[in-house]
Amino acid sequence: MTATTISSVPHVRRGPIMSPGWARLIAIFILLALWEIGARVCADPLFLCPPSQAIGALPHIFSDPKIVNAIRVTILELVTAFLMSVTVGLAIGLAVGLHGFTKQSILPVILMLYATPQATILPLFVLIFGIGPAAKIAFGVSHGFFPVVVTTVAGVQNLRPQLLRAAHSMGANRWQVFTTIIFPHMIPSFFTGMRLGMTAVLLGVLLAELYVSTAGIGFYTRLFAESFSPPDLFALISVLAAIAVTLNELCRMAERHFRRWNDG
Amino acid sequence: MTLLDSKQGNSHDPRRKMEQNVNRGDAIIKVEGVSQAFGAEGDPRRVVALESATLDIARGELLSLIGPSGCGKSTLLNIIGGLTTPSTGRVTIDGQMVKGPSPQKVAYVFQENTLFPWRTVIDNVKLGMAFQGVAKSERDDRARHSLETVGLVDFANHYPAQLSGGMKQRVQLARALGLQTEVLLMDEPFAALDEQTRMVLGEDLSVLLARTGKTIIFVTHSLVEAVFLADRVAVLTARPGKIKKIIHVEEPHPRKSEFMTSSKLGNLRNELYELLHDEIRKTMTNQPAEAGA
Amino acid sequence: MRPKLGIGQRLIQLGVLLLILVAWYIGTLPGHINPLLLPPPAPVFKDFWQLLNNSSIWPDLWVTVHEWLVAVAIAAVAGCSLGYIISRSAYAVRVFDPLLAGIYSIPAILLFPLYLLFFGLGAGSKIAIGTTIAFFPVVLNTIAGLANVDKSYIRAAQSMGANDLQLFWSVMLPAAFPVVLTGLRLGCIIAFLAILGGETISSLAGLGHRIVSLAENMESAQMFANIVFAVLMAFIINGVVSFAEARGRRGFQ
Repeated sequence: MTATTISSVPHVRRGPIMSPGWARLIAIFILLALWEIGARVCADPLFLCPPSQAIGALPHIFSDPKIVNAIRVTILELVTAFLMSVTVGLAIGLAVGLHGFTKQSILPVILMLYATPQATILPLFVLIFGIGPAAKIAFGVSHGFFPVVVTTVAGVQNLRPQLLRAAHSMGANRWQVFTTIIFPHMIPSFFTGMRLGMTAVLLGVLLAELYVSTAGIGFYTRLFAESFSPPDLFALISVLAAIAVTLNELCRMAERHFRRWNDG
Repeated sequence: MTLLDSKQGNSHDPRRKMEQNVNRGDAIIKVEGVSQAFGAEGDPRRVVALESATLDIARGELLSLIGPSGCGKSTLLNIIGGLTTPSTGRVTIDGQMVKGPSPQKVAYVFQENTLFPWRTVIDNVKLGMAFQGVAKSERDDRARHSLETVGLVDFANHYPAQLSGGMKQRVQLARALGLQTEVLLMDEPFAALDEQTRMVLGEDLSVLLARTGKTIIFVTHSLVEAVFLADRVAVLTARPGKIKKIIHVEEPHPRKSEFMTSSKLGNLRNELYELLHDEIRKTMTNQPAEAGA
Repeated sequence: MRPKLGIGQRLIQLGVLLLILVAWYIGTLPGHINPLLLPPPAPVFKDFWQLLNNSSIWPDLWVTVHEWLVAVAIAAVAGCSLGYIISRSAYAVRVFDPLLAGIYSIPAILLFPLYLLFFGLGAGSKIAIGTTIAFFPVVLNTIAGLANVDKSYIRAAQSMGANDLQLFWSVMLPAAFPVVLTGLRLGCIIAFLAILGGETISSLAGLGHRIVSLAENMESAQMFANIVFAVLMAFIINGVVSFAEARGRRGFQ
């Protein structure tokens, strides 16, 4: 319990031997090692492979131009869906959030739609847009734009009325009010919205990719699973996970950066 | 809101006897050469909060600790209460060395609200007794009695969130009284309250102390509060905190509001101000602002 | 948080919903939108009504709910225990909290193909994905709740002589409880969504499976009726879980 440390907080602190960062790396290494040993000793190679084999399968993944293309298309879908989510979300968020009337009438409907399980309408997207990138982008946008709308509305909402009053007292017009007060004010929450939007877009696009098993990533995951080649499957999924983490981390960094200068 | 209305101005004053006890050297708490440093020796970030403090506190005495921010007042209090282990030196209570919290002897009132929001007022007061293993049947009576003492028995079943700041501090006091300890440590208990509330609470406290005869150490930022409440005021220097001077306040308890406006209090307050003025300037120029350690 | 809404605002919201319905009706009049993509409202409501009145959906509903319950139970037990163990040491919190948060930022749905491989097309893979996705908010909130208990509470309890066990039951647990509860609520809700997603991708039974097979057979009206049903289920689960959270919060005070 953290409690027991209270009375020993001051004093010359004899820190642990290792910084938490190193300990974390070692923990990851131990987990991988356990997986490696476990997979080699007692797992069925048709289902589970040790991490070393998954890494070994990476060149194979990248040497197949069709797989590389599927990955590239996925990245393209992610970026397009993200950009569309942000643009559409920002526009709707501003339109809804800046007027009391729309905020009261439309926002609850948006919130209700946000709470629906979109996975249930995934087949509909494929019916409408086909099995190509369009369906996946559309499904990604359907996930991504809600958090952007909600955080944009929140960003506009928390505006301190004193600031608006100060601007009006100095004779600012609507446009000046928007550029000098509303816009700078909503930047932090806008970046939070971007980060949440990215997480949602990743979910939407990857869900759609996995659902469509006749093309793209979904085709290969099914192929590798049905041909019982776990190293390829693990490798492909690791690549996608790495892409997801990178995109997430980019958004997180942007958010941290803009939060810093806007705090206080 | 007077919480103590009866038994004021007793002709025989227990405090005066205490003063005599001091002279006879009956110290309940002995602080011997206590220092406290944060950070390793040689580390540029090392901070010496308190340097060789030595102090005797007599049974039934009320001692105020006053000094600039970060001078180690609260550190000293935490060391006496056993919540912090000093780097060097030792503290004894009743001749026994303090090694950790000693709730049988010492009760605390904190500056911040430490009432547990998920418990009612009376359950908060009872909790300490439960920790102490007081029999269930006895807890209720004791809790009600200490709530009565602070005038809040009608609020026994309220939650802390429903009380004002001043009331919360009185519940904290009740919780400390309920432990029936001989020593009471108060760490800026009124700091978060507005000035008028703290004046009234200060008067009430003086009455209460005269009645219970507890030994009290009281950390405060307020010069007036220090003089108004204390038998002795220990003035600490800027960091590293040392005891600069101890001022005696010769005025019987319970102290009344006339004392507040008296020239005697004014003179003592001015003396304190002279002592502290330079120290406070020093902290403002030399050290970055830091939460009062 | 939520301001009280006046009747006028309620009417406006109702009006917007009505507007959507009217647009749906007009849009699906003959000659507009292909009824395969968006069937008119009338047959959808008819099919939905039938759905509620015959029992054919119950087995699928039970499959989904059963998967959800098992997933949530495993995630709650595993998440709370691991969170408690980690929170006991401030050092462990600093090592493992960022690690868990980092893993959490990987979209868990990526693991679904692996789960399909390990656990097959049936309930096993859905339970696995639901558990995975619910585990993280539970463990992270348990750590956050227990590790961030206000230090002044701990100090106060220690000054009154609380031992470790008393400290845990009287201070740590009640102080952390609301945060842990929030984690459980989040976990419950996203587990249900993940299970629906898993059933949509690949499954043998369940609500998601029904919708997919109806879509493949171009039974649009029935598919929409089933979607409405699934959405309704999600709202019900949301409501029940939020209600339980609010009750749990109050019950502990």
